[in-house]
Amino acid sequence: MSEPFEPKILGMLCSWCAYAGADTAGVSRAQYPPNIRIVRVMCSGRIDPLFIARAFENGADGVLVAGCHSGDCHYISGNEYAKDRITSFGNLLDFFGIDQRRLKLAWVSASEGARFAAVVAEMTEELRALGPLRLKV
Amino acid sequence: MATLIEDQLRARAKALLAEGTVDVVVGYRQGSNPLRVVPFVARTPAETERLVWNVVCVPNLAGTLLKHAGRRVGVTLKGCDVRSVVQLISQRQLERGRLHIIGVTCRGMADPEQLAAIAEGPVSDLIEDGNELLLNVGAELSRHPQDALRLAKCTTCTCQTPELYDDLLGEAPPAAIVADRLAGVRALEALDAPGRLAFWSEQLSKCTLCYACQAICPLCYCKQCPLTLQRDDPRKQAREQTTVFSYHMMRASHLAGRCTGCDECERVCPEDIPLSLICRKIEQDGSSR
Repeated sequence: MSEPFEPKILGMLCSWCAYAGADTAGVSRAQYPPNIRIVRVMCSGRIDPLFIARAFENGADGVLVAGCHSGDCHYISGNEYAKDRITSFGNLLDFFGIDQRRLKLAWVSASEGARFAAVVAEMTEELRALGPLRLKV
Repeated sequence: MATLIEDQLRARAKALLAEGTVDVVVGYRQGSNPLRVVPFVARTPAETERLVWNVVCVPNLAGTLLKHAGRRVGVTLKGCDVRSVVQLISQRQLERGRLHIIGVTCRGMADPEQLAAIAEGPVSDLIEDGNELLLNVGAELSRHPQDALRLAKCTTCTCQTPELYDDLLGEAPPAAIVADRLAGVRALEALDAPGRLAFWSEQLSKCTLCYACQAICPLCYCKQCPLTLQRDDPRKQAREQTTVFSYHMMRASHLAGRCTGCDECERVCPEDIPLSLICRKIEQDGSSR
């Protein structure tokens, strides 16, 4: 019997909120699936859609972009830019027939460890159902 | 055969060069056959005799112009090319003060590929006669209605008269019936996700990553490009479909807000991939926000 599919998720988390939130999840021993690999960025506004494209190119089945809640950005408005940019890139993925659920945008504050765990768990379940990303022709 | 606009153009270019208003005049000259023109830079008044203007002056000269940034340049532009130049000026890639724009009104360019396809044999002359095009093939003239041979992008044109110019040549064209720019995008969106993926997989599997779409784009002016850092590993590129997908997504999305829809990327694509669809999708996305 073949092994069940375990999706690989790349998480790009902002240093001030979401990354600290992930840290809180660890400190408070919240359980979440080990499918996520985390990269810390200074701000979610730093994330060029190219990073996401490269992640998919290099074998990620899903990408999670997480940053501060609206109005909480350490750099005033970086998360607002991220929102526009990532949403628009999601639409482009959809236009190419790639399921939009493979790219998730979430807002997680530093204290929301449980929320971070829930977001990762939910996304892992979704990707398990979707299966691996196959663009080969 | 010189047309009226062509004569006016040569005279204007000659005068500009002679009086020293500009250092060079960028325009078109006859290419390898009457259906082809190539960008041409006239440096002396005598060279302006080689300038042409006809119904197949399709290439966007804004990109050529960029190579001469810093000099005083006179340039002949259609309405759509002017849009690219306006964008380049607003992005501070060109200086308005150093440009002399000879705008030409445009009733829509003809598609050289289609012309070549309907002509049975090598074309020795291409003549415009009102709304008809005359193709001279082996001393035999055939007439074709110009509307049917219009370039795809010209059917959705909204800039027949340039929005910026120093001199304007040609008469104001009659308002054309403008087709829906986003019709192609909507048609593709009507498919389900696997259908779209299948469509793009088929189209993009033709891509050889020749980068012609990037090289021709007048608004792709970055000196270093993150998309081409992997150029030194061509084997990886040619074999992996994901790389091709991400290249095309990123090429278009890095141009978001700058793309003026000149469709040069699609014109130069040797594999005829409908790249303008991706640009239109991003345009649609930007305008809905």
